[in-house]
Amino acid sequence: MASAVSPGMEVRRIGGSQDGRVIELYIGAQHPASGHMRLIVYLDGDVIVRVDPDIGYVHRTMEKLAETREYVRVISLLERMTIIDSCNITLPYVEAVEKLLGVEPPPRARYLRTILCEINRIASHLYGLGIGGIFLNHSTMYMWAFGDREVFLHLASLLTGARLTHTYSVFGGVRRDLPRLFIDEFSKAKRYMLKRLRDYDKLFFNNPVIRGRLEGVGVLKPQRAVELGVTGPNLRASGVRYDARLTGYAAYGELDFKPVVGKEGDALERIWVRLREIEVSLDLIEQAIRSLPEGPIFHERFTKTIPPAVRHWLAKGRIKLPGGYVRLKTRPGEVFTRAEMGHGEVTYYLVSDGGIKPYRLRVVTPSARNVVLFDELARGHTLMDLPAIYGSLDYFPPEADR
Amino acid sequence: MKNRLRSHVDALATAVSRLTKSPMTFFYPDYEEDKPYGYRGVILYSNEKCIGCSLCAQICPARALKMYRVPGDKRLRPGYDLGRCIFCGLCTDICPTDALELSSVHDKVFDSLESMVMDPVDWTLWSRKVRGEEMARGRKMRVWIDEDKGLRYEEVR
Repeated sequence: MASAVSPGMEVRRIGGSQDGRVIELYIGAQHPASGHMRLIVYLDGDVIVRVDPDIGYVHRTMEKLAETREYVRVISLLERMTIIDSCNITLPYVEAVEKLLGVEPPPRARYLRTILCEINRIASHLYGLGIGGIFLNHSTMYMWAFGDREVFLHLASLLTGARLTHTYSVFGGVRRDLPRLFIDEFSKAKRYMLKRLRDYDKLFFNNPVIRGRLEGVGVLKPQRAVELGVTGPNLRASGVRYDARLTGYAAYGELDFKPVVGKEGDALERIWVRLREIEVSLDLIEQAIRSLPEGPIFHERFTKTIPPAVRHWLAKGRIKLPGGYVRLKTRPGEVFTRAEMGHGEVTYYLVSDGGIKPYRLRVVTPSARNVVLFDELARGHTLMDLPAIYGSLDYFPPEADR
Repeated sequence: MKNRLRSHVDALATAVSRLTKSPMTFFYPDYEEDKPYGYRGVILYSNEKCIGCSLCAQICPARALKMYRVPGDKRLRPGYDLGRCIFCGLCTDICPTDALELSSVHDKVFDSLESMVMDPVDWTLWSRKVRGEEMARGRKMRVWIDEDKGLRYEEVR
């Protein structure tokens, strides 16, 4: 951010305006790719001297709004931060409230959450790959990735009834059971996607035109990545083995999971990590389906108070909420939870004063942590490398602005 | 050099091989997707089942549901603002009598913003109309995942 100094003053400080060498270029604030933001780029000729990401165009005061709503009504609010990854972003919040309520979700519910989280991750990565493609004028990659994303949105809608805003995880479990049809449809989707990943490798990843644009561009050293607090595939591409899923929330602790770790830390490696993570996610879903435990999907504390007239829904794989669910009271306390989204690690810090609404909810999203990379990686590169760097970061402004 | 040439040819060949596949889309107004079981469309209301408990209005995250006083009725009844609804379906989950239910419709056209705000009486009548239409809607396409093409559409007869 240019902080208190106006952009014109920055130019004078960086390059001296006497010879007019440094110019400033405003990119945005329309919708450059994945949301509204502006990049203020300072250029010496064609070389980037500095990049100021001008954030905040889609700031919606999520944290403050959360304080004005009952716990259950906050779930669908928080989904709006990252609509493409809605199960991953709400899961840590749901787990935080569950900890304060003293409710442990049944095993089947934990597995179902994992399945939807991984479907979300694949869809989010495909979205990021598509956006990365169109940044490099590779329209085919864009259309393919967005088309294949439909397959996973369809799977999500089979499971939850909605394509994007699932509101699937609720306190004490999940809202729908796995439909019988899902297992068959998923195995077809898996075979299809693995085939498509080989196509992506040929069309995009190994394409000399793309390699020429991405290889050796925006290199992030592991030490620097850790210092900056970068997260997600961008961190792992630099060779740092960190993934919040390793902490074993939901059902991850019971599944065989190895994070994808890169080496080079350049833009190409970041794309590679995303491509390989799709494979890992497909494998995780298959494992979760195979070892899916039988049993209820909603905690007994809530199911026993469901009115008898609507209990028949439980047998049909849908839960009903008891009347007291709106005004749930948690014990006073503070909880810190985290989860790995498609873009990286999201952390929640929830403070409760024992009321029916959160006293304070602090959210730190992965994009908010990764935004620092624009300046860090682009310096010294030419302006043409900026889209390549942006595309490789999978930055999502609505998520960063909150 | 040879490898690079090969990679270029590979990339082009992969793109060309996809040309023969049918697109992952269909002509929407002529055909409509046959929604999967449990799809969350607009909310329908049956006033004869409603007990006026107001739980739906309390849980609605978008405040699309509000309780109204209806002349000649002692209890408050819910009204529906379709413009605000986010189709989360939480109201249907908490309704203790199944007076609220999910439909498989979400593409509804209204003349004005005001007509999207329905009081309990309007909502009851509108729900009846939508239920009737749901049966009689035009040609439907069922979506299946396909190993070869991604998504495949099959007309429902």
